[in-house]
Amino acid sequence: MQKKKIKVGLFIPCYINQLYPQVGIATLELLEKLDVDVDYPQGQTCCGQPLGNSGYEEDSKGICKLFVKNFKEYDFIVGPSGSCIYHIKHHFDILKQTPEVKRVRNNSYELCEFIVKILGKTDLGASFPHKVGLHKSCHGLRGLKLGSCSEVQEEHYSTEEDLLNQVRGLELMSINRKDECCGFGGTFAVFEEAISSKMGKDRVQDHLNSDVEVLTGADHSCLMHLEGIINRNKQPIKVMHIAEILNCSL
Amino acid sequence: MSHATKAAEFNKDEAKVNWHDKALWYVREKRDKSAHNVQGWEYLRQLGSNIKANVLSNLDEYLVQFEANAKNNGVHVHWASNAEEHNNIINDILSKHNAKKVVKSKSMLTEECHLNPFLESKGIEVVDTDLGERIVQLAQEPPSHIVLPAIHKTKEDVDELFQEHLGTKPSQGNPEYLVGEARKHLRDKFLNADVAITGVNFAVADTGGVVVCTNEGNADMGVHLAKAHIACMGIEKIIPQEKHLGVFLRLLARSATGQPITTYSSHFNKPEDGKEMHIVIVDNGRTEQLSREDFRASLHCIRCGACMNTCPIYRRSGGHSYDYTIPGPIGSILSPGKDLKKHSSLPFASTLCGSCSNVCPVKINIHEQLYKWRQVIVKEQKQPVVKKSILKTAGVVLSKPGLYRAAGKTARFMLKNAPRFMIYNKLNAWGKARDLPEVKGQNFDDWYKKRQKNG
Amino acid sequence: MIGIKNDKKMGREAILKSVKQNKPELLQLPDINEASFEEDINLLETFKNNLKVVGGFVKEIDKKSIDTEIKVLHSNKTNIVSTTKKSALGTITIDKNTEPHTLENIDLAILEAELGVSENGAVWVTASNSIVRVLPFITNDLVIILKKENICLHMLKAYDQIAERHRDFGVFVSGPSKTADIEQCLVVGAHGAMSLAVLLI
Repeated sequence: MQKKKIKVGLFIPCYINQLYPQVGIATLELLEKLDVDVDYPQGQTCCGQPLGNSGYEEDSKGICKLFVKNFKEYDFIVGPSGSCIYHIKHHFDILKQTPEVKRVRNNSYELCEFIVKILGKTDLGASFPHKVGLHKSCHGLRGLKLGSCSEVQEEHYSTEEDLLNQVRGLELMSINRKDECCGFGGTFAVFEEAISSKMGKDRVQDHLNSDVEVLTGADHSCLMHLEGIINRNKQPIKVMHIAEILNCSL
Repeated sequence: MSHATKAAEFNKDEAKVNWHDKALWYVREKRDKSAHNVQGWEYLRQLGSNIKANVLSNLDEYLVQFEANAKNNGVHVHWASNAEEHNNIINDILSKHNAKKVVKSKSMLTEECHLNPFLESKGIEVVDTDLGERIVQLAQEPPSHIVLPAIHKTKEDVDELFQEHLGTKPSQGNPEYLVGEARKHLRDKFLNADVAITGVNFAVADTGGVVVCTNEGNADMGVHLAKAHIACMGIEKIIPQEKHLGVFLRLLARSATGQPITTYSSHFNKPEDGKEMHIVIVDNGRTEQLSREDFRASLHCIRCGACMNTCPIYRRSGGHSYDYTIPGPIGSILSPGKDLKKHSSLPFASTLCGSCSNVCPVKINIHEQLYKWRQVIVKEQKQPVVKKSILKTAGVVLSKPGLYRAAGKTARFMLKNAPRFMIYNKLNAWGKARDLPEVKGQNFDDWYKKRQKNG
Repeated sequence: MIGIKNDKKMGREAILKSVKQNKPELLQLPDINEASFEEDINLLETFKNNLKVVGGFVKEIDKKSIDTEIKVLHSNKTNIVSTTKKSALGTITIDKNTEPHTLENIDLAILEAELGVSENGAVWVTASNSIVRVLPFITNDLVIILKKENICLHMLKAYDQIAERHRDFGVFVSGPSKTADIEQCLVVGAHGAMSLAVLLI
């Protein structure tokens, strides 16, 4: 008898859907390669994070309810964005905690964590012969605990590094400040423009100083911000989501 | 003025921002090294947090116990509901001693109560004796950091200040020379002071004693030479038992500067023969904060400043951008409780990265409280019309898939086709230092539909 | 004055009432599991290393050579106070009635400490060790004599050891007075002693 495949609802955050379709595509293709039953529920929009982080949590209830409605049937909900998943797990407490809501919160996973923790795989057969710098998004790192944090006394671990270290030809570069925030922060990027830009600039410089060719991460909102700075200053670093790298094969 | 405005001002001098960021990051790195060297560090933090939670849940009993023990030791205990009462109590004690000269060691509480200008208006000379505090006092500025009050000043700034006020020679900012001169200047103040005022790091309920921590020895120089010692404390400084100092003194200096302990940890239980010791216990809004379930844990704070050193925003905006006695992440969750309107921009001066909560020695969930204050502020404070309408509209659009599809198309169309001058104009804060993402041919939805159709 | 007294009482009652109204339900005081902090380390060596890190001088010496060692460290001091019988180098005698301001020009103070703490190089100095409380702070240089067997692992153990004492004044001293308030440059000798030497016997 054939084992029943895990049923995954693919969550593509709003800004990835609109601005970075290639990240969504890589995520989908990667999950299909890993032999899970992936479905992309139609009618999905957003997790509500932009509103919650701006203080408009109350106004995001409709969004959160829609999310639960779209994803309640799946074994797992997987998305290529740590901060959105963090929001679902930690801030959907504003909804009435029905069994459906609880299920969605418990079963939502950031892509890398899903691959490593649920599927138990790190070698995905990818090949990417470049010097890569990893940006650890704060919500993924400190929120979802995708890795050890520099502030905390604990054994070193990193979900993204586990995956990148298995990619053929990839050289993971060591940066100076291993988990400092990039300064995106949602509406912070606009309302605290000066600091946000400066933080991003400093992060990019750290990667430049470490000879990084490709900057990657598991959260494309941070990457969008860093890429904006890199493009503006015409700096020699390419930005790619980790799903795109893991989906690369020669 | 909002935090963002002040931060932008600070960022006009990028070299200074870089220096400020590096100086504090260095302290953060020392903290990591020192803390991670302690066997059971994370358990120690948990203990600190749990002890403080117990303190808040039994605070009235502990305060009464503390008072009784202190009185038994011959210490005078005073209670002040607010800053005004605090200042008046101190003035009364000074009058009784006919004191005209006061030396003060670091106390954020007396900063909070604006004690210095109050006493100065009564003709009393108040000298801050912590070197950093003396520097900002001479510059007539508030401290920009609770542990490193003059971190925003360069050594050249200090050189100039000392030339002007202490008559020193130009030294191109030689720290050893400047410290030596400050030592002479302040030694004179210590020797001539009538009364010494100190803050309190910990007040021990089961002994009635207080502990004051310094590196310079300024609290002790003041107290042991003056006729009377006045120690000022917020109600939340209480710890239940003396043995709990074994937890908090292990946490405090490592978190603050990376030292294993401050140079001096002084335990004041009884006044020296022939002298007086007073303790002023202050509320000034603390019991109100105690009433707020979501924000109560902010009262765990032991004022180590680690959240400032680690905060990527604080490091790049400077302490003065917060415009509150306690700047940085902890100040941003304390200040809205004091004056929601005035400090309503502070909980937004964060990316919610969570590093503050990770370094906090008493495990205050700082970034979660910042998130919660944002919700309160949006409900209770008038919001900028543009921000409000954008987010309210987003709330509606994003809950209706049909509207979302239409809006997505429009936004993508605009990004792709609008002329550059429309996108990168003065109103677009994103575009000042960053390019907008390049819009690809189709969004993921369209791609997926096409793919399904083609099988 | 009567008015002020009433106000003070109002402050006290008002604060306690407000705390009572606003505090959460009682949360248990945690037990401290000291086993979590146990470490198999050499107490003496760790103490010495940590004291050096915080800017202090430390040396193991024979108890018969205390004064010889101090003379090597501080060769030409005139105003010396020794509050311990272990050193006979004192040139100025003090008692508990000595006016603290008169200690302004002390060059060297020699004291005994009761306890050392391995994790941070601190020594515990009480009011009776100093006789006049200001002495270890106002002196230019400070020498502290400590018995090696009185070094404990960490601060929790230290508080166990000093639990039974006369509580008037006591201080943990870790290294000489210092400041980093000017551009984070560490400078030794702020207001307290310019140097600290701990002699281990």
